Amino acid sequence: MKILKLTSNFLLVIFLLSLFSIGYSNENKLNDYFKTIRCLVCEGQSINESDTEFAINLREQIKIKTNSGMSIKEINQELIEIYGEQISFNPSKNHFLLWLMPLILVLVILMFIRNKLKFFYKK
Amino acid sequence: MKKNLFIPFIGLFILAICAFYYFNQAPSQKLEAKQVPPVLFEAKDFYKNELIDTQNLGDFYIINFFASWCKPCLAEHPLLMELQSKGIKIIGVNFRDDEDNFIDWIEENGNPFEYIIRDDGSIAYEMGLIGVPETYFINNKIIQKKIQGPLFYEDIETYL
Repeated sequence: MKILKLTSNFLLVIFLLSLFSIGYSNENKLNDYFKTIRCLVCEGQSINESDTEFAINLREQIKIKTNSGMSIKEINQELIEIYGEQISFNPSKNHFLLWLMPLILVLVILMFIRNKLKFFYKK
Repeated sequence: MKKNLFIPFIGLFILAICAFYYFNQAPSQKLEAKQVPPVLFEAKDFYKNELIDTQNLGDFYIINFFASWCKPCLAEHPLLMELQSKGIKIIGVNFRDDEDNFIDWIEENGNPFEYIIRDDGSIAYEMGLIGVPETYFINNKIIQKKIQGPLFYEDIETYL
């Protein structure tokens, strides 16, 4: 009888601990996600750090949406639709043009200099 | 041959600049085709306790987000009163506010709103609100213009 009681208590503790760890990991996941969302009021900060009304509201709304069963991916998509790419610190769009721009600029300048030099030496 | 290469490079450069500006437009500039989210019309008016009658609003109306704790909202309030006196319908959305403070604020400063919706933040989220005050000019259910921050006379003079 005593063994049965001990086992049931042990199982209860295990159950409560697992529930706590699930809650804790969800909370951590959400906090990690908040770090990727830009606060549009104070643009250098994420909504995780910011205490503006905008950030507080966004954190609350995201929590409500995750509790209602929406995935982080779906919420992220929705946020981008509402606020645009700038809401995310990890933009999904391929900004290859942005990275290519300095290279194009250098090439254009080099070609311009080369043409000018050629013209100068021909003289 | 090398001189011929120069022109395509210039073309590519201009194209890159255009593409860069297109992809990096501020969201407020892209709002032109955005519709008013239905969540606004699912909420009840605070005083009348009824849903917003879209037929009563007409084609053109204004949505204004405000709060009693927001000082710039107080600054733009006389302009909203003026708009109301010219027959323009305004939906006021009271954003994350204390109910008593909100009632006192309206009693003290006047009510320019056709409907007042109290928002816990969900309408603001759907509308893409950044901060209060924020005003949306709606024409045929489409958000035509969005003004972040307080309204100035220049923003509304065409409607007066």
